[in-house]
Amino acid sequence: MLLKEKTIMEDRVRLICKRTVVSTKPVEQGRLYRFSVFDHVMEPNHIRLVYYYRTSKTREPGEITKKLRESLAYTLNCYPIVTGRLVKETDGTEENRWKVKSNDAGVRMVEARATGTVEEWRRSVNREEELKLVHWEDMYHLPYYWSTFYVQVTEFESGGLAIGLSCTHLLADPVCAMMFIRTWADLTLTRNMMTPPLFHSLPPRRFTSHKLSNNQLLSHYIRSCSLTAPPSNVTEDRMVTTTLLFPDPMVQAGENEQGISPFEILSGLLCVCVSRAKGKRNELTDMSLCLDVRKLLRLDQSYFGNCMVYHKVHYSKPVTTKDRLLLLSYVVKEIHNVTKGLDYDTVMDLVEWLSSNNNNPISNGSDLVCINLENMANSRPMMFEEDLMLSHVSCYVEGPVAGGGQAIVLPSQLSEGPMSRVVMVTLPQREMVKVLEDELLQSFSPVLLMEYTKLLNQ
Amino acid sequence: MPREQMPEFSSSVKLKYVKLGFQYLVDHFLSLLLIPIMAIIAIELLRMGPEEILNVWKSLHFDLVYLLCSCFFVIFISSVYFISKPRTVYLVDYCCYKPPVSCRVPFATFMEHSRLILNDKPKSVEFQMRILERSGLGEETCLPPAIHYIPPTPTMDEARSEAQMVIFTAMDDLFKKTDLMPKDIDILIVNCSLFSPTPSLSAMVINKYKLRSNIKSFNLSGMGCSAGLISVDLARDLLQVHPNSNAIIVSTEIITPNYYKGNERAMLLPNCLFRMGSAAILMSNHRSDRWRAKYKLSHLVRTHRGADDKSYYCVYEQEDKDGNIGINLSKDLMAIAGPLVLPASEQLLFLLSLIGRKIFNPKWKPYIPDFKLAFEHFCIHAGGRAVIDELQKNLQLSGEHVEASRMTLHRFGNTSSSSLWYELSYIESKGRMRRGDRVWQIAFGSGFKCNSAVWKCNRTIKTPKDGPWSDCIDRYPVFIPEVVKL
Repeated sequence: MLLKEKTIMEDRVRLICKRTVVSTKPVEQGRLYRFSVFDHVMEPNHIRLVYYYRTSKTREPGEITKKLRESLAYTLNCYPIVTGRLVKETDGTEENRWKVKSNDAGVRMVEARATGTVEEWRRSVNREEELKLVHWEDMYHLPYYWSTFYVQVTEFESGGLAIGLSCTHLLADPVCAMMFIRTWADLTLTRNMMTPPLFHSLPPRRFTSHKLSNNQLLSHYIRSCSLTAPPSNVTEDRMVTTTLLFPDPMVQAGENEQGISPFEILSGLLCVCVSRAKGKRNELTDMSLCLDVRKLLRLDQSYFGNCMVYHKVHYSKPVTTKDRLLLLSYVVKEIHNVTKGLDYDTVMDLVEWLSSNNNNPISNGSDLVCINLENMANSRPMMFEEDLMLSHVSCYVEGPVAGGGQAIVLPSQLSEGPMSRVVMVTLPQREMVKVLEDELLQSFSPVLLMEYTKLLNQ
Repeated sequence: MPREQMPEFSSSVKLKYVKLGFQYLVDHFLSLLLIPIMAIIAIELLRMGPEEILNVWKSLHFDLVYLLCSCFFVIFISSVYFISKPRTVYLVDYCCYKPPVSCRVPFATFMEHSRLILNDKPKSVEFQMRILERSGLGEETCLPPAIHYIPPTPTMDEARSEAQMVIFTAMDDLFKKTDLMPKDIDILIVNCSLFSPTPSLSAMVINKYKLRSNIKSFNLSGMGCSAGLISVDLARDLLQVHPNSNAIIVSTEIITPNYYKGNERAMLLPNCLFRMGSAAILMSNHRSDRWRAKYKLSHLVRTHRGADDKSYYCVYEQEDKDGNIGINLSKDLMAIAGPLVLPASEQLLFLLSLIGRKIFNPKWKPYIPDFKLAFEHFCIHAGGRAVIDELQKNLQLSGEHVEASRMTLHRFGNTSSSSLWYELSYIESKGRMRRGDRVWQIAFGSGFKCNSAVWKCNRTIKTPKDGPWSDCIDRYPVFIPEVVKL
């Protein structure tokens, strides 16, 4: 693994201006939107996405930005929650919780220019620089004037475009944030909104409240929502991020069982490697999976709001084998049991418990968190204009929910095959070094898309 | 208040009929006089019979020189009359600029930006919020792109690009509507009060459209919200001197350079109320335009009262001790604007009451002319909600009369000199403009000036398919609450 020295590079990203984009039609004033229990539980976190587009045509600088700004204004007509502002209002029954007042204030948009091309940029940046493409502001002292969504459009002088979207996790999860970009792209390209968002509450309480005795999902939340301070070892070491492309994890693992997905294999792989990097001999590291439950709750893909749950993986047997492939196979099976075991009632138990008992946000402690976004690819490409090709998507989730390490599994935009996946791995630096050198990981022939840069004095 | 008794008195039915009769009598005085005389002559002639007529004829001792002199005299009088008759000035058509939806500024965004920029001056933000709540503006008014930035960038370049955007779009639309070739423009007048670059805005227009080198161009700046009618007056005077000409007037206000970033309350006021807009108007004195022109200019009165202190305070924005903003419209306003634009009957009554007050008894109530008899439509400059309220009260106008002004304020904000044209466009879009209707446009300019124009509609105007109101006219009129809670 190449260790790059941290060179002091000139700021390649130059900010042009910041403004507010509002919808084209005025909203119905004074509407208050409530958050669901899943939303409240994710409050202290925020999401950042970067979409890279490469192009073959040369454009006037600023031309595509102007077009995107106008189409964003039209898109926002369907997202009154996004253009509203957070208020805390007590309304009798509810305690002092956040709500969104739809006041038509709009979202902040930042315009920037970057030198070089998209390909050059991606080859040479690390996490800190990539985040320069996504503007974010922490909540102000007065939340009523704070925009919950930020959009940044960066034009690359020699060709290409990067769109950054950041938002608070209170309003959206990565799935609906990506759907927002998809809706915006469709509107820009075809002037037609193919998948407008749906705003409604989660399914109502069930009549027969049969509490499952062995609801592991619920127990995980009960434990995690009472964690107040982060565990001590999380803050010592610097967290670094690398992006790896796995061309065909299924073949490498030799799995031919029905129903195992690349996400499950990759999560298992990382679990095994991280456990070894942490120095655990006969133990596997704690791991939580973040899964989208829209389909389980019979909600549409375009449901806007948080709908992803964190489920800790339970290892039923102690680890005995030294054969790493067998170990991998075991872990993958356990992961698969978790994903299969989730059903409507399990999740509804959680929803009901959260509604009646819980006021705290969730924290994943020092677990390794694996987020499943592999199904976010679509047969229809996500394009803003005819010759803008989506070349890469990066996703960051920051906050207590990120645990002690993160692995976000995304679909691959390159034509490597339908089973190829991009994984953004965030780990403490010491563990990252060991994981990247691990032979088991190497046997999957990952391609390094984004490196981290090692600090000189470490 | 003495005025309150007048409406009660006038509204009694019998008096109304008397008034209508009186008005008819005075308005058609000449014809009422001539018809009986002609009738008497005709009856006499018939009675006399042909021989008697011949005898009367012979006895008049016509003589050739005498005949020639009298014919010459008649021809002389009639040609003097025709030459000195002022040329009819027509308003062929006009176009108002419709800002793009991406420039829209809802109240919440305006307040948020204000808060972010004036971070350490919460009282100024509070002040702006109170203004906005009571302003009568809606959520669809537009500000130029430079003001949308955080922080705003009111540079010269941005101001120029706003000017180009608003002026050229309106003019392109006007050319398309009227089939006018730029080379045919004889007179160009551009008025923009607060932005006066070098080269001037009129030079910018000439450069863009490659107008003729012998065009008569004027650029009026610093004349405030009533500059639109000042430009019309100037165009009318020029069209008297130049036969067979046309004139383009561009009325606008460029907002970009005037975004005030300081703390002085009186100077923060324009930020809250002024919005982007412009209008391009084509006027001409071609005889051939009398079929296609929309309006004919009847009267135009310009009153400048800067010399008189009382008039200086006649329309004056003040803050009272509670910090509430009010427009102070004094009763002298009627004395300034009223008499000259009224029909003859009203003028007579006004004159009589004036004489009465001066000679007999100063305590006689001043006669408030009934403007509603004189005009079908009113366009009051949408300077602010208080101005429209006061004028409605003082002129005793109904809600429908001031609807155009209020709705223009709601949809477009205070666009300064071009607001009168947006209001006229509103009336046309509602399909209320009929042939022969008279429109009274009143523009106030910062307490110094009050300008009035009276137009007579030349042909019934069909509801326009394009124009600034085309996509929203069905939503209007809207109810505008006293205070919008922000």
